[in-house]
Amino acid sequence: MNPSFKILFVLIIALEISFTSIVSLNVALIVLAIIYLLAHRVPIKTLAWLLIVPLIPAIGLWSTQYINGTGNNDLFAWVLFTRIYAFVFTGAAFTLTTDVLALADSLEQNCHLPAKFAYGVLAAYNLAPRIKHEVQVIRAAGLMRGQTLSFWSPQLYFKAILISINWSQNLAQAMTSHGFVEDAPRTHFRIVRVHTKDWLLLIGGILLLQVGIFLVPWR
Amino acid sequence: MKWVKDWYLSDIILLALIGVFFGIIFLGTNYVYDILTAVFAPLGLSQIPNEILLGLWCMPGMIAGYMLRIKGASVLGEFLASVVEMLFGGQWGASTMISGVVQGVGSELGFTLTRYKHYDWLGLAATTATTTIVTFGWDLARNGYAKLQLWLLLLFFVVRFCSMFAFGGLLTRAITSLLTRSHVLKSTHTNTNVN
Repeated sequence: MNPSFKILFVLIIALEISFTSIVSLNVALIVLAIIYLLAHRVPIKTLAWLLIVPLIPAIGLWSTQYINGTGNNDLFAWVLFTRIYAFVFTGAAFTLTTDVLALADSLEQNCHLPAKFAYGVLAAYNLAPRIKHEVQVIRAAGLMRGQTLSFWSPQLYFKAILISINWSQNLAQAMTSHGFVEDAPRTHFRIVRVHTKDWLLLIGGILLLQVGIFLVPWR
Repeated sequence: MKWVKDWYLSDIILLALIGVFFGIIFLGTNYVYDILTAVFAPLGLSQIPNEILLGLWCMPGMIAGYMLRIKGASVLGEFLASVVEMLFGGQWGASTMISGVVQGVGSELGFTLTRYKHYDWLGLAATTATTTIVTFGWDLARNGYAKLQLWLLLLFFVVRFCSMFAFGGLLTRAITSLLTRSHVLKSTHTNTNVN
């Protein structure tokens, strides 16, 4: 499926289930997402990890509602519990099966997102491993001077922003010197097309979701 | 599409980079969140850690608005941070992007209400207040807050406001005053200060 269409569909699902309270629908979405993930050969280990990571927040939401909720708190506790997992698995069905480069290409070519946004974010995203390393460097440099930099230390963010300013200007210059012109029309090497199949899948998926929300008499 | 012209490539990369940096720093808070959540869960107060840390997660938007001083900087800054977090495989999937927009709009409103003129305590107080209100409105639906007892709602609201003020107000102010003192902000305002 076209990456832009896929992300749109996942966003619509996330938005709609935020306002519905149907446990079975959430569970159905989770099951469908797992089937989709398995069909794309996502390792079982990753799936197991997706089940474990949200467990604490999910139990938290459940217990808050179960103990301190009003009205039908038992039901609503389970709604929130399953909703978290529905977010996680539908989200994973997108992120684990979509190439970031393909998404950027598709957003630029199919959704007419200005190229500077698509490539600008891509450039920053691709630096992530170096940024991870840089955070460790900042912390180590602090430790050498006897300063422990934690997430509440302004100096840590200050240095991070300094590096961001520096790198953003270097990257922008590098892109410009390689022929990137802001707001100018571009030709494309990797062409992403929208097929009839994409439209059918998107519209079919959205319709099915509405049937699930409004028509199926879930108990 | 006039707003597109206000944004230079280096601004966009800058906001995205800040998003990645902050995202990686915030990863270190996950264990705090998990431990606190586990402690508060038996009392049915496990949203408290979420409320305590929420100000931290809203910081990229506030800093972006405060630093760049372009209309829409908060929304874009927070949104880009959330996109990067989602692509990283953040645990909340696509709903991260929705939260990002909600938080960004919340922070932006504060600067809008002060007409993009008050980059001082007033502006920060306004953005703190609007971020708290807007994100709380969203949690009424998303996290089922609408179904909770009133005293708990009030408690959550107060804690959230304090967190927004501590991180979005005090910490943001501390960071930006470091930036101002080092005179680096001029060079980031490519739109306004170069000519």
